[in-house]
Amino acid sequence: MSTFSGLGTALSSLIAQRQALEVSGQNIANANTVGYTRQRAAMASLPAATVPSMFSTSNGVGIGTAVTGIDRLGDAFLDARVRNETSGASRLAAVATEYKTLETTIGEPTATGFSKDLSSFWSSWSDVVNDPTSDSARSVLLQRGKAVADRLSTMHQDVGTQWQQALTTTSALVTQVNTTAANVADLNTRILAITNAGGSANELMDQRDLLVTQLSGLVGASARTRDDGTVDVMVAGNALVSGSSANQLAVSSDSPASLGDAMQAGAPAVSIVWARNDNPAGIEGGRVAGLLTTLAPQSEGGVLTSAAAQIDAVAKTLADSVNAVHTTGYTIDGYETGTPGGAFFTYDPANPARSLAVAITDPAGVAVAGAGKGAHDSSVGRELAALAKSTSGADATWAAFVVDLGVQSASASSRATVAEAARSTASAAQLAQTSVDTDEETVNMLAFQRAYEGAARVLTAVDEMLDTLINRTGVVGR
Amino acid sequence: MTTIGRVTHFTVRNSTLNNVQANLQKMADLQAQMSSGKKINAASDDPSGTADVLRLQGEQRQLAQYGRNASDGEAWLTTINDALTTSLSTLRKARDLTVQGGNGALGINSRIALAQEIEGLRDNLLAQANTTYLGRSVFAGTTAGAAFTDGTTPVGAPDPAYTFSGSGVDGTVTRTVASGTNIRVDSSGAAVFGEGADSVFALLDSIAATLRAGGDPSDQLDAIDGHLDAMTTEVASVGARQNQIDAAQDLISQNSLTATTRLSAVQDIDLAQIILDLGAQEVAYKGALAAGAKVLQPTLLDFLR
Repeated sequence: MSTFSGLGTALSSLIAQRQALEVSGQNIANANTVGYTRQRAAMASLPAATVPSMFSTSNGVGIGTAVTGIDRLGDAFLDARVRNETSGASRLAAVATEYKTLETTIGEPTATGFSKDLSSFWSSWSDVVNDPTSDSARSVLLQRGKAVADRLSTMHQDVGTQWQQALTTTSALVTQVNTTAANVADLNTRILAITNAGGSANELMDQRDLLVTQLSGLVGASARTRDDGTVDVMVAGNALVSGSSANQLAVSSDSPASLGDAMQAGAPAVSIVWARNDNPAGIEGGRVAGLLTTLAPQSEGGVLTSAAAQIDAVAKTLADSVNAVHTTGYTIDGYETGTPGGAFFTYDPANPARSLAVAITDPAGVAVAGAGKGAHDSSVGRELAALAKSTSGADATWAAFVVDLGVQSASASSRATVAEAARSTASAAQLAQTSVDTDEETVNMLAFQRAYEGAARVLTAVDEMLDTLINRTGVVGR
Repeated sequence: MTTIGRVTHFTVRNSTLNNVQANLQKMADLQAQMSSGKKINAASDDPSGTADVLRLQGEQRQLAQYGRNASDGEAWLTTINDALTTSLSTLRKARDLTVQGGNGALGINSRIALAQEIEGLRDNLLAQANTTYLGRSVFAGTTAGAAFTDGTTPVGAPDPAYTFSGSGVDGTVTRTVASGTNIRVDSSGAAVFGEGADSVFALLDSIAATLRAGGDPSDQLDAIDGHLDAMTTEVASVGARQNQIDAAQDLISQNSLTATTRLSAVQDIDLAQIILDLGAQEVAYKGALAAGAKVLQPTLLDFLR
């Protein structure tokens, strides 16, 4: 037991308290840093010196304290839960967003929706019926027919544009995934180097975990921590990041490039593959999975392809039902010669909505007279006007589509809301564990400060004690 | 919010932000409903309501079209009614003149004068029979052109005098005034005026010819009465069809009122309720803000020297 050992004990405390204060300072500095995990200086008391030799003495008192490490107060299970929920929530949110956009394109039920165009079209048939000799009524009919055809074509194109955008977004996200994965691998390398050298890589781990959570939101990645502190990032069971190396994902080159291609019979789905061997990645979570769902072919329930097919069906139903009746009618001139009217609409069966057009250019070409019923008869026109009420007609097909879309959109929204609530709860639980509480840090600061002051006082006390021994001893009577 | 072991400024701030945001979102939704006046702004707001809205909107437009059809039909029938009324009085006049012509004391000049007058009446009748509405002969059915040719037989033409253009054509002019209800709005010229040699025009011609020849046309009175009967029958029929259209118009306005009311019930907001909801939501929003202000501000630092 050295005379000066008290000084050493006080010094160890001064150093330890200052270090702990610095950690608190770091916590407070990062109170608002996203992804920061609070830290603690772990202190351990140093045991009394062991007896080195037979004649040395020890009083059994410890020799102070030391900071043994800086703990990162995260929770791997909470992190895993957040990633899991983020993966599901991002996927559902992506689907719900696509539905919302699609609903805007469809624009029902508003005063200017497609059903209004259709009603106007049928109304103009009635006007022609009321006055078959009026060229103006016939011209209006042709224009309304054109409006209906144009509207269908525009909607189909809008859906095509949305599909294209979804594909572009998917490609961009895959690039982002690759960059992020490379960053994670890079951070893994640096973290390993620092921890091997005995340093603390807490801040780099925070960054890395944040990136892994981002990957969960993108492709539903999950993380597996290795013994050496690095993490492997797994996507659907395969390693996206393995230690210091990252694999690349890519949009499959077999994927269709446009809505038209995706709607061909037997067209493959847009898929994500591993760049090194073209094996499917089988992504099941994250925003990319949501986008893949909307891009899928009709046979797999793709949102956009189904919508486009429905619009095509409306166009086809409209054209077929009108043509079937119109070709039985006669124009005023055709009645005399016994020539029935031609088709009212034309379309390409491979692509009905986009190619739908009014075949008649001359108003006189509208055929509303019935066979043998007089040149100014309009019984065929009446049949055409009555198609508005047909239960298998374009209006009914359209209404069924709108309602179906509404139901699916509402259910997608509510599923996304529920998933978001779960993600939010998981995230709150994680933040409760990792976030910095300034009050707590303030209390810690006070405690460290007081301990530092105490240690300084111990130092002074020992110093005064020694002063008494060295300078005041043996001076009796001087 | 689930129970969380540890509460930090960060979590308090997050949850405050979430709550304020959720409240603001609800307020924005209510605001959107109130400013648009519609409960259903997208199909997903209420899919089954959307189905009703689409159906009722279609019904409204259909009813509007039926209304226009009915007005047009009424105009046709009114035109026909006027033509028939005029024709009736013209023919009655001709009958009177024919009775007058039966008077044996009349001199030949008076008879010629009567014959001329009757020929004038015949021209009147022919004009009535060729009455048009918006360029179409109302007695010609669905055929083009005038209902009757005039009394002269054109050289080389196949048609004899007073040919009815609608003969052999079974088309009728009808107007759809309700689903499946088509009301006929024309009259067959052949039924009203007869055609060719049996027509009322040919009859008057023959009376005029009898008078000019100094004969007694009284034996033709029965034939005139027959035509008068035909016209009266048609007037009654037109009147009945006008009634039908009037009834249909009443029904159309009633139905469109019903459709509007039902549409409004499905898609329009209950203003009082929305205002109340908005008020309640505003209180909740302010509460969230106030709570946030209270919880976020103080820290331990405020109480340490």
